[in-house]
Amino acid sequence: GQHDTNGNANTAKKYSRDFLLKFSEQFTDPPKGFNIPPEIAEVWIGVNVSHLADRDSY
Amino acid sequence: SSKRSLSLPNQSHPLEHQWTFWFDNPSAKSKQATWGSAMRSIFTFATVEEFWSVYNNIHHPSMLAVGADFHCFKDKIEPKWEDPVCVNGGKWTVIFPKGKSDTSWLNTLLAMIGEQFDHGDEICGAVVSVRAKQDKIALWTKNASNEAAQLSIGKQWKEFLDYNGPMGFIFHDDAKKLERAAKNRYSI
Repeated sequence: GQHDTNGNANTAKKYSRDFLLKFSEQFTDPPKGFNIPPEIAEVWIGVNVSHLADRDSY
Repeated sequence: SSKRSLSLPNQSHPLEHQWTFWFDNPSAKSKQATWGSAMRSIFTFATVEEFWSVYNNIHHPSMLAVGADFHCFKDKIEPKWEDPVCVNGGKWTVIFPKGKSDTSWLNTLLAMIGEQFDHGDEICGAVVSVRAKQDKIALWTKNASNEAAQLSIGKQWKEFLDYNGPMGFIFHDDAKKLERAAKNRYSI
Protein backbone atom coordinates (compact mmCIF):
# COMPACT_ATOMS: atom_id res chain seq x y z
CA GLY A 1 0.00 0.00 0.00
CA GLN A 2 0.94 3.63 -0.36
CA HIS A 3 1.82 5.52 2.80
CA ASP A 4 3.05 8.80 1.48
CA THR A 5 1.76 10.81 4.38
CA ASN A 6 3.78 12.66 6.97
CA GLY A 7 3.15 9.80 9.31
CA ASN A 8 5.43 7.62 7.24
CA ALA A 9 8.18 6.07 9.34
CA ASN A 10 10.48 6.73 6.43
CA THR A 11 12.38 9.89 7.38
CA ALA A 12 14.20 10.27 4.05
CA LYS A 13 14.99 13.84 3.12
CA LYS A 14 13.13 14.02 -0.16
CA TYR A 15 13.57 16.83 -2.65
CA SER A 16 11.72 17.07 -5.94
CA ARG A 17 13.51 17.83 -9.18
CA ASP A 18 11.87 21.26 -9.42
CA PHE A 19 12.90 22.12 -5.88
CA LEU A 20 16.51 21.10 -6.48
CA LEU A 21 16.68 23.03 -9.74
CA LYS A 22 15.81 26.26 -7.93
CA PHE A 23 19.30 26.20 -6.42
CA SER A 24 21.19 25.47 -9.60
CA GLU A 25 22.23 29.01 -10.41
CA GLN A 26 22.87 30.12 -6.84
CA PHE A 27 25.87 27.90 -6.25
CA THR A 28 28.32 28.36 -9.07
CA ASP A 29 31.61 28.65 -7.17
CA PRO A 30 33.44 25.40 -6.46
CA PRO A 31 33.22 24.20 -2.87
CA LYS A 32 36.17 24.58 -0.50
CA GLY A 33 38.70 21.83 -0.98
CA PHE A 34 37.51 21.04 -4.48
CA ASN A 35 40.42 20.10 -6.69
CA ILE A 36 40.39 18.18 -9.92
CA PRO A 37 43.35 15.79 -9.90
CA PRO A 38 45.84 16.85 -12.62
CA GLU A 39 45.49 13.67 -14.69
CA ILE A 40 41.75 14.23 -14.86
CA ALA A 41 41.99 17.94 -15.64
CA GLU A 42 44.24 16.97 -18.52
CA VAL A 43 41.57 14.73 -19.99
CA TRP A 44 38.85 17.31 -19.58
CA ILE A 45 40.84 20.05 -21.20
CA GLY A 46 41.78 17.70 -24.02
CA VAL A 47 38.17 17.15 -25.03
CA ASN A 48 37.55 17.60 -28.72
CA VAL A 49 36.07 21.06 -29.12
CA SER A 50 33.88 20.00 -32.03
CA HIS A 51 31.51 18.46 -29.48
CA LEU A 52 30.49 22.00 -28.62
CA ALA A 53 28.70 22.22 -31.94
CA ASP A 54 26.16 19.71 -30.64
CA ARG A 55 25.00 22.02 -27.90
CA ASP A 56 21.83 24.00 -28.15
CA SER A 57 22.30 27.50 -29.45
CA TYR A 58 22.32 30.15 -26.80
CA SER B 1 38.57 38.64 -6.57
CA SER B 2 36.20 35.78 -7.33
CA LYS B 3 34.17 36.57 -4.23
CA ARG B 4 30.59 37.43 -4.91
CA SER B 5 28.55 40.01 -3.11
CA LEU B 6 25.43 37.88 -3.34
CA SER B 7 24.12 37.08 0.08
CA LEU B 8 23.64 33.37 -0.04
CA PRO B 9 20.99 31.81 2.14
CA ASN B 10 22.47 30.60 5.39
CA GLN B 11 20.47 27.47 5.83
CA SER B 12 21.63 24.46 3.88
CA HIS B 13 19.57 21.52 2.75
CA PRO B 14 21.10 18.26 3.94
CA LEU B 15 20.72 15.19 1.76
CA GLU B 16 19.62 11.84 3.12
CA HIS B 17 22.95 10.36 2.00
CA GLN B 18 26.40 11.67 1.26
CA TRP B 19 27.42 11.06 -2.34
CA THR B 20 30.80 10.89 -4.03
CA PHE B 21 31.73 11.74 -7.61
CA TRP B 22 34.32 9.44 -9.15
CA PHE B 23 36.09 9.75 -12.46
CA ASP B 24 37.79 7.04 -14.45
CA ASN B 25 40.62 8.33 -16.60
CA PRO B 26 40.32 7.02 -20.16
CA SER B 27 43.94 7.69 -21.08
CA ALA B 28 45.08 5.48 -18.21
CA LYS B 29 42.65 2.75 -19.27
CA SER B 30 44.10 2.81 -22.77
CA LYS B 31 47.45 1.90 -21.25
CA GLN B 32 45.84 -1.39 -20.21
CA ALA B 33 45.99 -0.55 -16.56
CA THR B 34 44.05 -2.88 -14.30
CA TRP B 35 40.36 -1.99 -14.52
CA GLY B 36 39.42 0.49 -11.88
CA SER B 37 42.99 1.41 -11.01
CA ALA B 38 42.56 4.78 -12.68
CA MET B 39 39.41 5.52 -10.70
CA ARG B 40 39.67 8.63 -8.57
CA SER B 41 37.17 10.08 -6.17
CA ILE B 42 36.68 13.77 -6.89
CA PHE B 43 34.42 15.12 -4.20
CA THR B 44 31.92 14.01 -1.55
CA PHE B 45 28.89 16.20 -0.98
CA ALA B 46 26.18 16.14 1.67
CA THR B 47 23.88 19.07 0.90
CA VAL B 48 21.87 20.40 -2.05
CA GLU B 49 24.12 23.47 -2.09
CA GLU B 50 27.33 21.44 -2.25
CA PHE B 51 25.89 19.32 -5.03
CA TRP B 52 25.38 22.35 -7.27
CA SER B 53 28.75 23.84 -6.36
CA VAL B 54 30.40 20.67 -7.62
CA TYR B 55 28.06 19.96 -10.53
CA ASN B 56 28.47 23.50 -11.86
CA ASN B 57 32.25 23.07 -11.90
CA ILE B 58 32.65 19.71 -13.56
CA HIS B 59 32.23 18.73 -17.18
CA HIS B 60 28.94 17.28 -18.28
CA PRO B 61 28.97 14.03 -20.27
CA SER B 62 28.97 15.72 -23.69
CA MET B 63 32.24 17.44 -22.73
CA LEU B 64 34.07 14.32 -21.59
CA ALA B 65 36.62 12.42 -23.64
CA VAL B 66 35.68 9.12 -25.25
CA GLY B 67 36.32 6.30 -22.80
CA ALA B 68 35.50 8.36 -19.73
CA ASP B 69 33.36 6.92 -16.95
CA PHE B 70 31.90 9.41 -14.51
CA HIS B 71 30.26 8.03 -11.37
CA CYS B 72 28.11 9.34 -8.58
CA PHE B 73 27.78 6.79 -5.77
CA LYS B 74 26.65 6.82 -2.19
CA ASP B 75 29.57 7.59 0.09
CA LYS B 76 31.50 4.50 1.20
CA ILE B 77 30.32 2.50 -1.82
CA GLU B 78 32.99 2.12 -4.48
CA PRO B 79 31.71 1.91 -8.06
CA LYS B 80 33.07 -1.60 -8.53
CA TRP B 81 31.47 -5.03 -8.75
CA GLU B 82 33.75 -6.15 -5.94
CA ASP B 83 32.44 -3.59 -3.48
CA PRO B 84 30.69 -5.52 -0.67
CA VAL B 85 27.49 -3.51 -1.15
CA CYS B 86 27.48 -4.00 -4.93
CA VAL B 87 28.63 -7.60 -5.16
CA ASN B 88 25.13 -9.11 -5.34
CA GLY B 89 23.77 -6.24 -7.35
CA GLY B 90 23.11 -5.32 -10.93
CA LYS B 91 22.33 -2.39 -13.15
CA TRP B 92 19.74 -0.86 -15.40
CA THR B 93 21.25 0.71 -18.52
CA VAL B 94 19.95 3.29 -20.98
CA ILE B 95 21.77 4.11 -24.21
CA PHE B 96 21.74 7.58 -25.75
CA PRO B 97 22.98 8.99 -29.05
CA LYS B 98 26.46 10.44 -28.76
CA GLY B 99 26.54 13.64 -26.72
CA LYS B 100 22.84 13.49 -25.84
CA SER B 101 22.97 12.24 -22.26
CA ASP B 102 23.53 15.50 -20.34
CA THR B 103 19.92 16.14 -19.36
CA SER B 104 19.26 12.53 -18.44
CA TRP B 105 22.46 12.40 -16.39
CA LEU B 106 21.34 15.46 -14.41
CA ASN B 107 17.83 14.07 -13.96
CA THR B 108 19.31 10.79 -12.73
CA LEU B 109 21.48 12.61 -10.20
CA LEU B 110 18.58 14.75 -8.97
CA ALA B 111 16.31 11.73 -8.57
CA MET B 112 18.97 9.89 -6.58
CA ILE B 113 20.08 12.67 -4.25
CA GLY B 114 16.49 13.88 -3.80
CA GLU B 115 15.45 10.34 -2.76
CA GLN B 116 12.74 10.12 -5.38
CA PHE B 117 12.90 6.33 -5.73
CA ASP B 118 10.49 4.28 -3.61
CA HIS B 119 13.29 1.72 -3.24
CA GLY B 120 16.03 4.28 -2.73
CA ASP B 121 17.78 2.01 -0.24
CA GLU B 122 18.44 -0.36 -3.14
CA ILE B 123 20.40 2.23 -5.09
CA CYS B 124 24.21 2.28 -5.04
CA GLY B 125 24.78 5.02 -7.60
CA ALA B 126 24.92 5.88 -11.28
CA VAL B 127 27.58 6.03 -13.95
CA VAL B 128 27.67 7.75 -17.31
CA SER B 129 30.00 6.16 -19.86
CA VAL B 130 31.12 8.14 -22.89
CA ARG B 131 31.95 5.94 -25.83
CA ALA B 132 32.86 6.53 -29.47
CA LYS B 133 29.35 6.09 -30.86
CA GLN B 134 27.05 6.45 -27.87
CA ASP B 135 26.64 7.48 -24.25
CA LYS B 136 25.33 5.08 -21.63
CA ILE B 137 23.90 5.76 -18.20
CA ALA B 138 23.66 2.88 -15.75
CA LEU B 139 21.90 2.82 -12.40
CA TRP B 140 23.51 0.36 -9.99
CA THR B 141 21.45 -1.43 -7.34
CA LYS B 142 22.24 -3.74 -4.44
CA ASN B 143 20.10 -6.87 -4.51
CA ALA B 144 19.72 -7.97 -8.11
CA SER B 145 17.53 -10.95 -7.19
CA ASN B 146 14.91 -8.67 -5.62
CA GLU B 147 12.90 -8.45 -8.81
CA ALA B 148 10.07 -6.31 -7.46
CA ALA B 149 12.47 -3.64 -6.23
CA GLN B 150 14.45 -3.61 -9.48
CA LEU B 151 11.31 -3.32 -11.61
CA SER B 152 10.04 -0.49 -9.46
CA ILE B 153 13.35 1.36 -9.78
CA GLY B 154 13.51 0.80 -13.54
CA LYS B 155 9.96 2.03 -14.10
CA GLN B 156 10.45 5.12 -11.95
CA TRP B 157 13.77 5.89 -13.63
CA LYS B 158 12.06 5.81 -17.03
CA GLU B 159 9.54 8.34 -15.77
CA PHE B 160 12.22 10.62 -14.36
CA LEU B 161 14.10 10.52 -17.68
CA ASP B 162 10.93 10.76 -19.75
CA TYR B 163 12.37 7.81 -21.65
CA ASN B 164 10.12 5.40 -23.55
CA GLY B 165 12.61 3.01 -25.11
CA PRO B 166 13.68 -0.42 -23.89
CA MET B 167 15.69 -0.79 -20.71
CA GLY B 168 17.48 -3.92 -19.50
CA PHE B 169 18.78 -5.08 -16.14
CA ILE B 170 21.97 -7.13 -15.96
CA PHE B 171 23.25 -8.93 -12.86
CA HIS B 172 26.87 -8.01 -12.03
CA ASP B 173 27.47 -11.71 -11.44
CA ASP B 174 26.46 -12.49 -15.05
CA ALA B 175 28.56 -9.61 -16.35
CA LYS B 176 31.58 -10.92 -14.45
CA LYS B 177 31.23 -14.47 -15.82
CA LEU B 178 29.91 -13.79 -19.31
CA GLU B 179 31.16 -10.26 -20.00
CA ARG B 180 29.43 -8.93 -23.12
CA ALA B 181 27.39 -12.13 -23.49
CA ALA B 182 25.51 -11.39 -20.26
CA LYS B 183 21.80 -11.17 -20.97
CA ASN B 184 19.16 -8.95 -19.45
CA ARG B 185 17.45 -10.67 -16.51
CA TYR B 186 14.70 -8.05 -16.46
CA SER B 187 13.43 -5.84 -19.27
CA ILE B 188 10.90 -3.04 -19.27
